[in-house]
Amino acid sequence: MTVSTSDVAEAERLAIEAVELARNPQRPRALAVIESAFEDFTELRGDRRFGDDHAVVGGLARLGERWVMVVGQEKGVDAATRALRNFGMPHPEGYRKAQRLMRLAERFALPVVCLVDTPAAHPGIGAEERGQGWAIAESLSIMLELRVPTVSAVLSEGGSGGALALAMADRVLALENAIYTVAPPETCAAILYRDAAQRARAAAALRPGVDTAHEHALVDELVPEPPPGAHAMGTVVIAALRGALIRHLDELSAMDPEERLARRRARYRALGG
Amino acid sequence: MVPAERRVVTVELRPHRRLATPGPRPQPLLPPATVECPRCERRLPEARWEEQLRVCAHCGHHARVPARLRITQLADPGTVELMDLPARDTDPLRFDDGLPYPERLRSARAATGSSDAVVVAAAAIGGMAALIVSMEFAFMGGSLGSAAGGAFAVACDRAVAERRPLVAVCVSGGARMQEGIVALAQMARCTVGTSALAAAALPYLTVLADPCFGGVTASFATQADVILAEPRARIGFAGGRVIEQATYERLPEGFQTAEFLLAHGMIDQVVERSRLRDTVRRVLLALSSAGPR
Repeated sequence: MTVSTSDVAEAERLAIEAVELARNPQRPRALAVIESAFEDFTELRGDRRFGDDHAVVGGLARLGERWVMVVGQEKGVDAATRALRNFGMPHPEGYRKAQRLMRLAERFALPVVCLVDTPAAHPGIGAEERGQGWAIAESLSIMLELRVPTVSAVLSEGGSGGALALAMADRVLALENAIYTVAPPETCAAILYRDAAQRARAAAALRPGVDTAHEHALVDELVPEPPPGAHAMGTVVIAALRGALIRHLDELSAMDPEERLARRRARYRALGG
Repeated sequence: MVPAERRVVTVELRPHRRLATPGPRPQPLLPPATVECPRCERRLPEARWEEQLRVCAHCGHHARVPARLRITQLADPGTVELMDLPARDTDPLRFDDGLPYPERLRSARAATGSSDAVVVAAAAIGGMAALIVSMEFAFMGGSLGSAAGGAFAVACDRAVAERRPLVAVCVSGGARMQEGIVALAQMARCTVGTSALAAAALPYLTVLADPCFGGVTASFATQADVILAEPRARIGFAGGRVIEQATYERLPEGFQTAEFLLAHGMIDQVVERSRLRDTVRRVLLALSSAGPR
């Protein structure tokens, strides 16, 4: 390998910058998107089994002409709401709430819109006791088999299976400066180098930008963010996202349901060659 | 490590350390007559160790089992037909964490004799035709990447085409970091497989062995109709180290063991390896008894 030390340092600096930009606290959060892109939002809460996870919000809403079920991961906007929302890291009951709302949407033929915004599923004792892995796995199965149109959008951070659980849709959009990774760079560094402090090195190796996910067909479309990015251009970016969501729902709603399902299965079956 | 035990246990005991710093291979030694239990460190005659399916006669420790040996432990003798899974050097991120990923793959292949972390066989279990998916922990920690995800999907395709139940032995640290987002996508890809099994009403049974974590736990390992686990196997989503660092919580005794998950209603049974084949056989027999729907 003939890569100079300065090239490596530069790559790591760029990767960390990309991660920091995606994590800018001023970027539009799920509730902000619901507030401005949707109308008549009526929140529906609880998983009917254990609790109500504030890291996941969802409910009925209108998007343009259409009623939909919207489900999102909410990171919070200040110290108090970030604590309440657990920084957007769901527990199993959050995924089970999402599942409940998706099943409800299916019964009443409502399209499902998911707003993905999580560093990862919550790592904790209670989450493990209540089957975090089981909950995510069930979400994957449900999203694959929903008979209604589904569109997901990655807002800032799509981290690990905790993000995929809301992102196995017919169409997956992502805001241009978001990241979408197999694990947060800190976790990746802990796994690969046994040292979470080496997150810059892990970030450079992981290529966390959503362009990588786009290149590998896990994301279909990038929603442009005018410079300097969605943290400063929230209104414009949300309007662009709204337009893209409606356009994809229009296309998907015009399709035969069987055809739509077959395409969704074929799409996820083909990932990775 | 004691040189005398190398032939039998080194690969399963210290796979990460070996792959992370590939040095000269150990010199071939004379076959050892005994094997040391990695837990209680008492010695057993090698023949007895194998006869007991690598479970320690002294302390009951269930040692890790290489993927192909696991298949022969589960299948009826003489019925195993390994599926040919070509080795692929896909490197979607051109990943280099000190060693280029394709080189890591090649050294894992040399160390295990498997093309990647998933081995698939068609075999009979108690006279019933089945497909067996068996994960190779010594292959980069049994991590789920595109080759393993593809192999799992192919196993599901064949199970559906031949109307066979599928048994998957899951041993994995989770998604393969070196494949980044493409590894994450394998969770989706494997879910297409398990959904097809469910749609075809074919029994799907998993055996969770030590360890089973991350993207494997959060996809095909727990999407099964019946979930069994081996005694004291560590099973979970996030690893204990990640949980401690993230939450500063002290992990309770026995946290994330098979017994812990049984108590929390997450698995059907903790099954000793000596009873595993018979338990699998009985479940498949019962679930297949009404014939195709």
